Amino acid sequence: MRIEIAAPMPGTVAEILVEAGDKVEIDDELIVIEAMKMEIPVCSTTKGTICDIRVKLKDKIETDQVLVVLE
Amino acid sequence: MAFDKFIEKLQGKKEQALLLGGQHKIESQHAKGRLTARERIDRLLDPGSFTELGMLACSDMPGMEDKTPADGIIVGYGTVNGQRIGITASDFTVLAATLSRVHGKKMHDFKQLINQYSLPNVFLGDGGGGRVPDGQGSIGMTSSAMMGTRSIFHMYTNLRRAPMITAIMGNCFGVPMWQACAADFVVQVKGSTLSVSGARALQKIIAANYSDEEMGGWQIHAEHTGITDRTAEDEEDCFRIIREFLDYMPPNNRELPSKNPVPENSGRNMDKILDILPEKRTRAYNMYKIIQSIVDSGTVFDLKPLFGKTIITCLARIHGRTVGIIANQPIVNGGAMGTDALEKMTGFLCLCDSYNIPLLFLHDSPGFLVGKEAELKKVGAKVTNAMDALSQVTVPKISIIIRKSYGQGMFSMCGPSAGPDFVVAWPSAEISFLDPVVAADVAYGSLPDEEYQKLKNQMIQEAGPGPAAGRFFLQDIIDPRETRNYLMNILDIIADCEGGGVGKHLLANWPKQF
Repeated sequence: MRIEIAAPMPGTVAEILVEAGDKVEIDDELIVIEAMKMEIPVCSTTKGTICDIRVKLKDKIETDQVLVVLE
Repeated sequence: MAFDKFIEKLQGKKEQALLLGGQHKIESQHAKGRLTARERIDRLLDPGSFTELGMLACSDMPGMEDKTPADGIIVGYGTVNGQRIGITASDFTVLAATLSRVHGKKMHDFKQLINQYSLPNVFLGDGGGGRVPDGQGSIGMTSSAMMGTRSIFHMYTNLRRAPMITAIMGNCFGVPMWQACAADFVVQVKGSTLSVSGARALQKIIAANYSDEEMGGWQIHAEHTGITDRTAEDEEDCFRIIREFLDYMPPNNRELPSKNPVPENSGRNMDKILDILPEKRTRAYNMYKIIQSIVDSGTVFDLKPLFGKTIITCLARIHGRTVGIIANQPIVNGGAMGTDALEKMTGFLCLCDSYNIPLLFLHDSPGFLVGKEAELKKVGAKVTNAMDALSQVTVPKISIIIRKSYGQGMFSMCGPSAGPDFVVAWPSAEISFLDPVVAADVAYGSLPDEEYQKLKNQMIQEAGPGPAAGRFFLQDIIDPRETRNYLMNILDIIADCEGGGVGKHLLANWPKQF
């Protein structure tokens, strides 16, 4: 089953901590967004494998924009 | 025997009442995946503990006597894990549990008894709305509250003498909505709805096409209105949640919650607590991890987890004792608090203060969300409201400054000068009017870079907890790994104080929704 991890708020992609094929646990940090002068990690909501990373460093992102897809 | 016939007839009537609105209606209820009122009471209460009042009540409308067993609402006393409670359950199989005079009289009279005896009050809501034609006409309407000139208030009040719990278990309108808004704790079952008016009524009144789900499905309340505290997966989960909530509460507002056994492995992660805090001061982390490390294993009971998410309000236990935790959540919006978070906090202050639960504040927030949207949501009013409530709390307050605590946010989180009985900081604490980097910009931004950097770093230094501790505005700076031990000790001290933590309940009359 494909799960999409979306941005909880607008900001800029500051760090990408995983790549396609990585196995992650629930709550693992996947992407770090820079917003409100802070670096806010976006975490996995499930255990799974990363399929696809939809953003790259310095991308400007909106709320609910899909960042990572995992299985 | 002289009265045999009478007894036989009486038993017959009671058996009839147990059949609720009839087999057909019961099957219809089951087909929706829902239990009947009597089944729900049976599942929630300890076996055999139910003492019913008013089984023989029925509608006062001519011709309706035999069609309205218990007039659509079941009330009585029972126990939950040995705790005596009053229970009221809407019977959807009888005229969709609509409100009429006898139905209302049962609710009103029983609620008065429960209040008088300071017993927890559980309402299992299903259906509702005013019954037609019973309430029609001037006699119908003015008599609908049954009891006289002031009795209608029982529908909307909660005197906070003992916890009032409302469960939303069907498509609920009218009375269940008031019971939810007045309650101390609300749980909604997925698939149920809660709104003032229903879709069918709206169609006729304003020709609108909203569904019940759109107006009051579980997500509407869990995420947007904040009227519910928890969402249950199904009815069994709902009963489990109610039992769990009651276990954190005292039996009434004059007593303390019970001291429970401490689960094994509680506090075993304390020595790793510093791993949760990132090295970079601008990096967010998940505050739940800190809470889970500090409290007894498995005892976090979250309230409104999906509403106002920049603040966490949860019950938990530390060394067996119930505490109410208000904590900033850095991973949401950097921990900047909005109006939903303030509402959530105010409600939680009232809950803990009313039921003698000490409050623990964990600070890590840059302050409030500001800007046009915040002003339109009247952030000033919400801040004032929350401070007013905080100023009237008389249960013990413990404040631990984990990291950021700036400006008004510091006061709103019960920081120094805002009334904490116990106030300490972690070495990582940053306390200042403004974020030091922002303040440096404001004050020194126009200076040459080398001087600006020096002054900026000085501001960051001065925001550490040391200077405040030096003036006794902080009682101590603690090793984060000692936080659980510190709290266990403080809770022991509180238990030894006069009253042991029972408050004066100045918030008992605070409005429930604001």
